[in-house]
Amino acid sequence: MTTTSLADEVGRRDHAAWKAPNEAAYRRRERSETTVLAALAVPGLLLIGAIALTPIAWLFWLSFRSGSDFTFEHYERLLHPTYTLTLQTTFELSFLVTAICIALGYPLAYLISQVRPRLAGFLLLLVLFPVWTSLLVRCYAWLVLLQRRGVVNSWLQDMGLIDAPLRLMHNFTGTTIGMVHIMLPFMVLPLYATMRSINRDYMRAAANLGASPVKAFWGVFVPLSFPGLFAGIIIVFVLCLGFYVTPALLGGGRVMMWSMQIERNVTYHSDWGAASALGVVLLAMTLAILWGVGRLIGFDRIVGGR
Amino acid sequence: MMGKCGGAISLVCTALLLAAPQAAAQEKKTLTISSWGGAFQKAQKEAWFGIVEKELNVVIKEDNTSGIADVRTQVASGKPTWDLTTQGAYSCALLEKEGRLEKFDAETMKALTDIPTTIGRSEHCAPQIVYSVAIGWRDKAYPGKVPEGWAALWDVKNFPGQRSIRKHPIYALEMALIADGVPMDKLYPLDVERAFKKLEQLKPHVLVWWSSGAQSAQVLKDGEVDMVAAWNGRIQALENEPEGKGGKIKTTFNQQIIVSDSWMIPKGAPNKELAMKAIAIMSRPEVNARISNYINYAPSNTKSYDTGVIPKEKLPNLPNSPENFGKGFVQDNSWWVNNADAMVKRFDAFLQR
Amino acid sequence: MTAVNGKGSAISLPISIRNVTKTYGTFTALDNVSLEIASGEFITLLGPSGSGKTTLLMVLAGFIRPASGEVRFGDRDVSLLPPHKRDVGMVFQNYALFPHMTVAGNVGYPLRLRGVAKSEIADRVQKVLALVQLGELGTRNIDQLSGGQRQRVALARAIVFEPRILLMDEPLSALDKKLREQMQIEVRHLHQRLGMTTVYVTHDQREALTMSDRVAVIDKGRFHQIGSPRDVYERPESRFIAEFIGESHLVAVSMRGGTAHYRDRPLQLAEPPRHPSGQQFLVMRPEKLKLLTGGEDGLNVFEGTAREIVYQGESTLLYVDLPDDVEVAIRQPATSVGPALPAPGTPVRLGLPAGDTMLVPAERAP
Repeated sequence: MTTTSLADEVGRRDHAAWKAPNEAAYRRRERSETTVLAALAVPGLLLIGAIALTPIAWLFWLSFRSGSDFTFEHYERLLHPTYTLTLQTTFELSFLVTAICIALGYPLAYLISQVRPRLAGFLLLLVLFPVWTSLLVRCYAWLVLLQRRGVVNSWLQDMGLIDAPLRLMHNFTGTTIGMVHIMLPFMVLPLYATMRSINRDYMRAAANLGASPVKAFWGVFVPLSFPGLFAGIIIVFVLCLGFYVTPALLGGGRVMMWSMQIERNVTYHSDWGAASALGVVLLAMTLAILWGVGRLIGFDRIVGGR
Repeated sequence: MMGKCGGAISLVCTALLLAAPQAAAQEKKTLTISSWGGAFQKAQKEAWFGIVEKELNVVIKEDNTSGIADVRTQVASGKPTWDLTTQGAYSCALLEKEGRLEKFDAETMKALTDIPTTIGRSEHCAPQIVYSVAIGWRDKAYPGKVPEGWAALWDVKNFPGQRSIRKHPIYALEMALIADGVPMDKLYPLDVERAFKKLEQLKPHVLVWWSSGAQSAQVLKDGEVDMVAAWNGRIQALENEPEGKGGKIKTTFNQQIIVSDSWMIPKGAPNKELAMKAIAIMSRPEVNARISNYINYAPSNTKSYDTGVIPKEKLPNLPNSPENFGKGFVQDNSWWVNNADAMVKRFDAFLQR
Repeated sequence: MTAVNGKGSAISLPISIRNVTKTYGTFTALDNVSLEIASGEFITLLGPSGSGKTTLLMVLAGFIRPASGEVRFGDRDVSLLPPHKRDVGMVFQNYALFPHMTVAGNVGYPLRLRGVAKSEIADRVQKVLALVQLGELGTRNIDQLSGGQRQRVALARAIVFEPRILLMDEPLSALDKKLREQMQIEVRHLHQRLGMTTVYVTHDQREALTMSDRVAVIDKGRFHQIGSPRDVYERPESRFIAEFIGESHLVAVSMRGGTAHYRDRPLQLAEPPRHPSGQQFLVMRPEKLKLLTGGEDGLNVFEGTAREIVYQGESTLLYVDLPDDVEVAIRQPATSVGPALPAPGTPVRLGLPAGDTMLVPAERAP
């Protein structure tokens, strides 16, 4: 009954009296919405520009200045053996720390991703716990543990496993241990996030198709965890490249990182130009690595697109 | 205002006039001084800043510095906030060369007469304290033996064990040359090749190349190393502290490298006249001497030792006391000002090889 | 790998499920179920969600270990065999296609695991892709495929290694209706062509009826009826089956002297109740009911009030309220002949031919 009368009502309407919005009006509305959205982004962009890009631009500018002249001298200076040796150390240490973080972090992330959620939460908390402690405190803790008369050497000697104390600190070894400890959470977290999101049906499917647990792990689980692994590698490696505190405290002075050269140039020579050139080189290397990895596997995969 | 005062309201006027000096007191000038912070700055405050505030009728605002770069940045900005700052004598010489410091007026220079130019006094730098780089060792490591000079640092046969020296060429080259047989009065200009050659011998025995005074003390205290070349104040502090894992710590002033910290006024400082007056006050022997009563650093003014402010039993601990001064030599800042950059680069490469 | 016995053929194996029980804490997912599946048979496990149908499928695949009972493929007891040694194909509900492999990579994966030569893999992959009509798409990535294409890849991957048993876990549930109906036919044809024993899980009774040789209706961890699609639709053995399979409304009847009565009137039945104990219900399927206008010979008559007309395109449903708060529906095909449907609120009379009557008990004794 009501349906009929509604139809009649519509039929009686005078369509000519309607002013339908025309295409131009629709386009105008769409444009104004785009403008509003863009306007919302402006403060953020300005802030990023002010706090992130301006210093970098300033750094870049300084690296080519000597007094009021344009110069390449700050870059030529980097050809000195002290810088090439430091660059080598920086990369060696970063590679080594990243590799150890993979070796330790992957099984750890796997374990956490496989246990019950409550236990996983607890284990994650343990992984994250060091992150909430000061970097310095953690470095000093290692110093206490690993020095010549430290806890580890005392135990080993008391148990009769070694005669003379091992040199675990004030060298490359000590630096590596300290940095792995600091970097491990940055490897575990993205790995865990990726692993947890791997549907268990993939592993079931692999088993069903005839893959033993080992083959299913390597053939299916590991490839599916690649996005997290790549993210972890990039975060850890890039952070390592710019690391300062741990090598300075645990390296016994002989582990020179690129960042220390920057610091030395600023404090001892107050040479902003040289320090800036060092900074620009570090930034360029980091970007080159990101670009290379991005080309290799696609950025969407690193960021966790798939 | 006075003209309007009179009759019934004179009482109010009097009250206003009486209040005036008090108002002026509240508008005291502020003198901003930056120093190294910690125990040293606390000692400076106790020994000197109070006297300066009183005599100049100013308020001292304290700030911290972490080194020469701060001064450069402040001066480069064109509007330094510090009137006065503490830096090493070598840094002061460098800043002087770069033209980043205010020149002292004649009156101030007169007040600095008894501070020797050898420890870094100039028209821009006013040494305030003296300290030295000396050998510190763990007594237990060498029973009955005393490492009497830099040669002992190299002598791993008679004095075995790990060493720690500063991660900087600035004392290392001098130590190496003396250990290699160069007399203390014939060091400068340094024979760089010879020094690095000698350092190469020591390198395998250096466990820690220290980069802070605290670190040099820590490794000795923990027994990580058996011998250090470090600032005398740091080693002496260990002598007085309860023993750490490393046991009792000893030191000697033999062949000590004497260095100083200076006052300086960054170019364009807001209250430079006041700052110069403050320097003059703090350089007076009886004021300058007070520092040693608060910390193990020595006064820069040689007359300080005649004031009687410093107790007799303190004298053996001060590097430039009459009995100790002759045991070592004063570092030549002018050589370092011209060579530091090249030396640091070479030293860093040497370290990493 | 699997022995060929007398009963089984080279392409299929019978399955024997005996007294399988699976519990999760206090929840019983499978309650002592037994089922014999013939070699080459297409059987559907049909039940609502949480009924235990998927659990049983996972037991067959080896992903879930039962608390007790036994599973045999042919002569072989596989109860303790890990999944990767069972050699059964499986299509997962979400397809579980490996996103890091191409279509051909996915389909070739089980062959690679079995050490088949590279050239042969390419050959067999191509053949099976052609079989599921994806011949051109071997080099595509999984994320470039439509839902229907993914479904076909999953199927191809499950059959490429020629398993004698194929398990399918609601494989069509993610597809839209039209595609789903098309795939039902295709899967059926594929089964007829390949002949492997197939266990198919669904909650869609229509799908179960369309595809299966036999349907096993499961609920609360127990089988309620196992039979041909026609059997379970036409001869439901309990109120649950009658209501779950097809559309039906139940009318309570009373039994007196071996005859069923509705509101004190005797009913004409096609056959006496098969499970006479307890309360009996008359199954009223909408398509079996007739709208009476005059003559009513040979029909059981029900009087009520028309309540609502629902237009469904190919047919129209008329909901009718019978006395005692009982609701039934009658379906009228969309043809020009036949009586016009009465307006809501007017009295109607419905007839059910004696040949179309079924009585079901409230609950069938196990």
